[in-house]
Amino acid sequence: MPETALPKSWNKESKPHKFCPGCGQALALKILGQAIDELDIQKKMIYATDIGCSLLSWSMFNVDTIQTHHGRTLPLSVGFKKAKPEAIVVSFTGDGGGYAIGAQHLLNTAMRNDPITVILINNANYAMTGGQLAPTTLLNQKTTTAPKGRELAQGKPFKGPEMLAQITSEDAHIARGISTNYQQLLEMYKKAISNQIEGRGFSFVEVIAMCPVNWHTDAQQSLDFAEIEMAKIYPIGELKCPQK
Amino acid sequence: MPTKIILAGEGGQGVQTVAKIIAVTAQRSGKNSSYLPAFGVEQRGGVSLAYLQISSKPITYPRFAKADMVVAFCDRAIPAIKDFLSKDTLFIYDNSVIKNKSLEKIKNLINNYLAMPALALAKEKLSSKVANVVLLGGIIAHLKEIDYQEFEKTLLEEFADKIIKKPEIKDLNLGALKAGIEIAEKFNKEETPFSGIEATEIKTNFSKEKISWQRFPEYCKGCGLCIVRCPTKALQFSRDSGFLGNPMPIVTIEKCIGCGNCMQICPDGAIKVEKST
Repeated sequence: MPETALPKSWNKESKPHKFCPGCGQALALKILGQAIDELDIQKKMIYATDIGCSLLSWSMFNVDTIQTHHGRTLPLSVGFKKAKPEAIVVSFTGDGGGYAIGAQHLLNTAMRNDPITVILINNANYAMTGGQLAPTTLLNQKTTTAPKGRELAQGKPFKGPEMLAQITSEDAHIARGISTNYQQLLEMYKKAISNQIEGRGFSFVEVIAMCPVNWHTDAQQSLDFAEIEMAKIYPIGELKCPQK
Repeated sequence: MPTKIILAGEGGQGVQTVAKIIAVTAQRSGKNSSYLPAFGVEQRGGVSLAYLQISSKPITYPRFAKADMVVAFCDRAIPAIKDFLSKDTLFIYDNSVIKNKSLEKIKNLINNYLAMPALALAKEKLSSKVANVVLLGGIIAHLKEIDYQEFEKTLLEEFADKIIKKPEIKDLNLGALKAGIEIAEKFNKEETPFSGIEATEIKTNFSKEKISWQRFPEYCKGCGLCIVRCPTKALQFSRDSGFLGNPMPIVTIEKCIGCGNCMQICPDGAIKVEKST
């Protein structure tokens, strides 16, 4: 049996995982697995997932995992952290859970500067339910519930990290990465998790991810849409980094 | 009759279309029929099951525990249909797709079977897309109470939209249906043993001095991101397939520079590149 290319923290029994071919979320999770390996926190970590495509990752890692109702992952993670401060809590949620149904929790967690790490996947639609309009859908992007493309009347694309950068304290780590840039995203994850380990406070990484199935794109078109179209609206980089 | 049929195959192989055609035809011929598609809506690329019942009496419940007829379209369907087999079950399978290794596991449960080289026949004489209709032919050869003409009518109605765009679809489907019935009627257990194909070894390791490139068919979903990301265009789709049946990438190792882009972009961890210095 040859040695695999999977991160060591991935649960090998649940592989191949349940994400669609070409999914950017799976890529983001592969890089998270690499970050867990490099920081060597597999035994100290608690992984919290939300409902949505993110739930498919419940058996992704060989780490202790918790899960709750749609959008309520953050309060659950904060509760866990309060009860067991030495645990490293990483919450994983989608744009539906974080920016729509659970937006109030994200806001309040950030305002209180609770010391947890939040990773939020931005794929510009509600992927698990078939590609409906999400807060992060781009203007003019067609979805199943916006067949003519998103109009301004339906709101502007939601910029989470920018909003959180306004309301969080200086100790918070806020960044936006893209799942196709391995090294950059790995660094962002490591900084975000270290921010929690060093006890500074809230850390947040939004990850732009491809969704070829709901975007109806092939490999090249998915990469172009994520790296060019989406990155234009959602600039990639660190908005707040206390570790400089 | 009553007949309880379970059909199982990969999503996209046409399992649900076949089940729908049988259910509709039975209804038209004055029988009662029930058809229940069962596939995980949240998980793509899984095994797709269809529960089908035909009876002259009213049908009270769409599911059942043991089937009178089990139809397996693909290798991965075998574990899913195992529990439906009993000693009277007729097991119909594609012996040009299903591997001996999988059949070995259910061998002692099967008394009655029909082996049809559906995909091989469809590929050779018609088009690989009508392999499911060949199997449909095998099924309706055993549903003698329903008139063959009715099946033909429903089949053409089902594909009416496509036939308008591409008229050759009509002949392909009717040809496949007739071929299927013919195989089923001529089938003789003595001539065709209960067997499938031998698993073929897929080459996974490629190397030249300093660079080694590995692929893992058990993880590859065939998304093609690695091919797009390769700076030297050393990757392309090959004839080998990953666990979903999608084509897998293959490397032209002479062109590979060992940059590792393909390994980094793969969401499934199906490629490993190592460069020694």
